[in-house]
Amino acid sequence: MNILWIQRLSCCGNTHSLLNCETFDSLLREVSFLFHPSLSAEGEEEVVEDVLKGKLKVDILLVEGAVKVDDERIKELCRMADYVMAVGSCASYGNIPALKDDSVCGLQYRFKEKGGLLGSDFVSKGGLPVINVSGCPAHPEWTAGVIRSLSRGIKPELDSWGRPKEFYSSLTHWGCTRNEYFEWKIEPESLGSKKGCLFYNYGCRGPLTYSSCNVILWNGVNSKTRAGTPCFGCTEFDFPRAGLFETKQFAGLPAELPIGVSKRGYIMLSGIAKVFAPERLKLED
Amino acid sequence: MRIEKRLLARVEGTAQLELVWENGRIRDARVRIPSSRGIERVLEGRPFMDALVITPRVCGICGHAHLMACVKALEDAIGHVRLSQKAKLVRDITLMVEMIQNHIKWFYLFVMPDFIRLGEKLDEFEPFRGKRWKEAISVASEAIKVIAIFGGQWPHSSYAVPGGITSNFTSTDVSKALALVSRVEGFFLESLVGMPVEAFLSLRKHGSWEGLKGDVKLFIDLCFKYGLERVGMSYGRLLTGGEVFPCITPGHFTGEKKLCSLNISKIREADGSPYSGAKRVRYNGMPYETGPLARQFLSGNPFVKRLHKMYGDSYMVRVLSRLLEVWELTSTVKEKLTSLYSFIKEPSCQIPFQKPERITGEGVGIVEAARGTLIHRVSIEKGVITRYHIITPSVWNLGPRCEKYLGVAEKAMIGLENPIHAEMVLRSFDVCSVCTTH
Repeated sequence: MNILWIQRLSCCGNTHSLLNCETFDSLLREVSFLFHPSLSAEGEEEVVEDVLKGKLKVDILLVEGAVKVDDERIKELCRMADYVMAVGSCASYGNIPALKDDSVCGLQYRFKEKGGLLGSDFVSKGGLPVINVSGCPAHPEWTAGVIRSLSRGIKPELDSWGRPKEFYSSLTHWGCTRNEYFEWKIEPESLGSKKGCLFYNYGCRGPLTYSSCNVILWNGVNSKTRAGTPCFGCTEFDFPRAGLFETKQFAGLPAELPIGVSKRGYIMLSGIAKVFAPERLKLED
Repeated sequence: MRIEKRLLARVEGTAQLELVWENGRIRDARVRIPSSRGIERVLEGRPFMDALVITPRVCGICGHAHLMACVKALEDAIGHVRLSQKAKLVRDITLMVEMIQNHIKWFYLFVMPDFIRLGEKLDEFEPFRGKRWKEAISVASEAIKVIAIFGGQWPHSSYAVPGGITSNFTSTDVSKALALVSRVEGFFLESLVGMPVEAFLSLRKHGSWEGLKGDVKLFIDLCFKYGLERVGMSYGRLLTGGEVFPCITPGHFTGEKKLCSLNISKIREADGSPYSGAKRVRYNGMPYETGPLARQFLSGNPFVKRLHKMYGDSYMVRVLSRLLEVWELTSTVKEKLTSLYSFIKEPSCQIPFQKPERITGEGVGIVEAARGTLIHRVSIEKGVITRYHIITPSVWNLGPRCEKYLGVAEKAMIGLENPIHAEMVLRSFDVCSVCTTH
């Protein structure tokens, strides 16, 4: 499996994230990098030329960073590759670089608009649209996981945002150690507390974001919400929203309810939960 | 006269080097850094807490330093924010761990492959295959787990907030962090300097760098073989803005004998130039180098003091300063982690309640990032950011020329005879183009 990694408007965060993959060493034995901007000894131009001339075959093209809407080079490379992966939310949806610049987008999206650089109908030689491994950054085990699947001939099933379902079909909320506080509607008194759910006051997007951050832990040890930081929804097309540490409320209710929960259901359940919350959960650290 | 353009690999982001050759020597050099992502503009008009999430995205390898500079700037703007000892210690620890992982990756991934390009046979250091190359990645990512323990994840955590940190950990977590740091320390002693701790400390006492072994010795030998021990000198002006007691102290050195204190009101940033997306920054009107060489020289690292005395601010000394700083950082992290046990019951975060819309003010945050002094300035009006301004370390080192002076890295390449040497000298500043333009 030949891999080509190209960077555009990025912070290199997805590269450094991938280096934290627990089995990076064995990944290198399974696939070979034609070029990676931070890792290869020699320059990019020769390799890209050879690929465009058809001298070198690219099995998986990985793009890190948002792209300019007129980046013909990337378009050409995408046509040459069996599979195209957008690594991180910039390459997937445009993200921060696209916020104040209309000439910047993701590979197949610009925020929620399908199209992006490659157009909404783009399908790579291998028969898949762009595989969006979204996240700011992309979790190393997700990136490595998709590469491994492809190298074994397994095509990942994608959700409606182009993301592999295997990693994005459950909410960030899943596996969060604060779930019990969420259920009983107990909020922390302030940030810095081991206990309490950050959804009610501190803007946590855990119940509104598709990712497996609390199932496949970061750096093998932790997650944002476990460390008391709200989830900012970085795997979704609209990251970063404004007011990241706040929960917007209408008449005492969160303006956005957890995915799949009706307003009526929420009012009923949360009222009951608050009244019957177990005493042990109300104790501070 | 011939002009040559080189796109650099093995730097953070994209950078182009333009060399002007005359009679086989480099007569002029320009560092071109392309397009910026406009992060300062993205911040304007947002609630001030958003900066804690967006500024780390300036850089994937020193995002944590951006978080720390940001939280300091916000606290400065809010005013009267008190921090527990626990929060202070943890912030220092994670900041230093980010530098440690950077330095290790940088040396093995960015620096050593240049010698392979010069024709050295260094199988262990070969990208993707070399044993040591892989080991360096694994040690660095072990170290990063320390940040994840306290901050939830790395890269891009946002766990420092005005008044403290968001996480509340146990003493077992601290012990685990200590164990992870010990592994880095072991790697430093066994692989980098090739000796037991007592032997290293006795060399350190007098800065006897000649006695170092391991990969550091290999690097020194290669520098002498290729004549890199005296090349790559710039203005010799060094500057450090942040402080992490005891291994990093602020100050500046004008190239003469005396170390001077730093007056941040003398730092000025001006717009860039037609050829680079980067701005330029001057202290007291002069270009200054920032980074590990500046830090370790100003903090009195015995190795760096002697090396600097013998070879000035050369390629070799710049690289060695970064490597030897790993020890200073590691031992300080260990001390701070050890003292953290006594503060574990303190609050992680304590902030007097204020409605965000009541907050109006201006603030500045200065920290040391892996590559040097990082400054964030913020203006807040009724809880909303009206202006955000970032000066990154790479703007000091890689920024373009002004009417009077070449950029620091540009100056360091003048007179070289080999284009790979020029790239190496540029790389010795630990080029980060993503930070340079932000």
